Amino acid sequence: MFFRVIPKSVIPDLVRGLAEQYEVVGPVAKGETFVYAPLADAADLRLDYDTTALPAKRWFFPESEALMRFRVSDNAVVSESLDTAPRVLFGLHPCDVNSLLLMDNVFLGETPDPYYKARRDNTLVVGVSCTPGEYCFCDAWGTDETHWGFDIFLSDIGDDYYASIRSVMGADLVDRYVPCRAITDEDTAAFQRRTAEFKAAFTNGVDTSQLPVLLDAKFDSEIWDKLGEKCLGCGACSMVCPTCYCFDVHDELDADQLGGTRVRTWDSCQFKQFAAVAHGQNFRDTRAARVKYRYYHKQWGYLSKFERVLCVGCGRCTRACKAEINPPRVVRALQTGVVD
Amino acid sequence: MTVPTYAAPVAANPYRPSPARITSIIDLTPQEKLFELRLIDDAAREAFDFESGQFVELSIFGVGEAPISISSAPSKQGFIELCIRDSGDVTGAMHKKRCGDIVGLRGPFGRGFPFADMKGHDILLVAGGLGIAPLKSLINHIHDDRHEFGKVTILYGSRTPSEVLFRRQFDMWQHREDFDLILTVDQPDETWTGETGLVTKLFDKVDVDPASTYGAICGPPVMYKYVIAEMRKKAMDADRIYVSFERRMKCGIGKCGHCGVGHQYACIDGPVFNYWEAMNLQEAI
Repeated sequence: MFFRVIPKSVIPDLVRGLAEQYEVVGPVAKGETFVYAPLADAADLRLDYDTTALPAKRWFFPESEALMRFRVSDNAVVSESLDTAPRVLFGLHPCDVNSLLLMDNVFLGETPDPYYKARRDNTLVVGVSCTPGEYCFCDAWGTDETHWGFDIFLSDIGDDYYASIRSVMGADLVDRYVPCRAITDEDTAAFQRRTAEFKAAFTNGVDTSQLPVLLDAKFDSEIWDKLGEKCLGCGACSMVCPTCYCFDVHDELDADQLGGTRVRTWDSCQFKQFAAVAHGQNFRDTRAARVKYRYYHKQWGYLSKFERVLCVGCGRCTRACKAEINPPRVVRALQTGVVD
Repeated sequence: MTVPTYAAPVAANPYRPSPARITSIIDLTPQEKLFELRLIDDAAREAFDFESGQFVELSIFGVGEAPISISSAPSKQGFIELCIRDSGDVTGAMHKKRCGDIVGLRGPFGRGFPFADMKGHDILLVAGGLGIAPLKSLINHIHDDRHEFGKVTILYGSRTPSEVLFRRQFDMWQHREDFDLILTVDQPDETWTGETGLVTKLFDKVDVDPASTYGAICGPPVMYKYVIAEMRKKAMDADRIYVSFERRMKCGIGKCGHCGVGHQYACIDGPVFNYWEAMNLQEAI
């Protein structure tokens, strides 16, 4: 990795330069919150945002997408297409950059998903440092830092950004569009100071000790019944989660019934039919079983395959859940045996 | 600015079903039919290499997809047999198909039975109801390499005589010397001359050499615990008892999440697990 110092004042120039070749998507204000949206104007970019309501996953794995067009008569695929539009996601926080790496394990690992891969291959990622918000607990999983998964990462050091350059494309963009200089020892010292302040600012301490053991040892604990009673089964936690990748596929027939579109949509293990099979059998028939599975999979199932937990501590589910079920609280319940 | 979206060709698309023609349909029971399918594309047909216990996604455009275990043996080249109960949208649509119609297949998916490891050993197969469908592939495969196995015992339980699958073939097999096949039904009628009661009752009639026996079990979820207990009573090792799980395998490639069982996915880590693995899987048995 190599580094540049970029004055904050030239970021709009960088965005305008990028917009010549790319669709630039970044955090913009929407009501009282922020969303990732295509930037109509470089001035709309709000790098001082807290956390967007929805994660960045939709730019790689949209909430709904056509997989293929089909013809009914001979069960044939008529067409398939990939979204290869050149795009820049500008301003992802470390949690959201890390979430892409977790998604990559699923969608780019064994048997790559061509739809996800096309978008990932054609999207540049520019990260930016942040300050911990009310719900943030990325420090619990070590996802408060990111060292790959981006092209450029901008760390705030006052009037400038301390930019980590991860890819050839990232280096090319910085050199083309903005005046910048090599780092000095003073810049690195400022970066270290900012990092220390950042780490000290977290307030949602989460004790993650021995979670895989606790998830198995307390699989039949009544904490799950308690949480199941609270859960509304709305699935909001999955929709706002940057790492929830489960999906459903269904066919939409055209009005003439001769052809149609096979469509993929986001799904959630919190929905009752998620684990249902034929003959009326449902392997997770209760809300307690479904709430438990969400945590069991994220903190243990995924970990057993990829050596990371499937959570980046962004706090979006904490904000979205009307029943106040969230990872810090569930982990506390696992540690203490009591739902507080 | 407007960004062009290019319609790029999809080179390798694991979600694209390969067209297959229905070459034979046999009514097994009022609920179940045995379909024989042939992949139309030569390259796809030649590349279709599977293990007993694996499954395919049956794809009927306009209706959807359903995971179906393969009933034919890998030793049968060029054709794939699927035993399908009319129990949902896709299987219902399949039951309305006729010979010559085209459907789609994706797969094969998952981990099957360890056929190579099983060679040289006695085999004890226990099926309940539609659970005979994946075991039929293993039975046929063993049949085609019969000289490589020791004693082969098949215990197969059904609810009623009319629900016994592959009944004509099994009636004949009851007279074979190289397979010990015992059928039982829970609710006999006046025509039934075989055993009655649950499949676990048949263990009294079976001699097992635990040091050289592999077990394979498939049936309704409620059955596993009891059949495994019988096998354990016969002192069979946990890692030589194999079970096949039904879950909602939707994508077949470990992505959609629907077939999670404990910390694993049935579609890539299973659907066949040995009992030692299954013991360590929450929600499994």
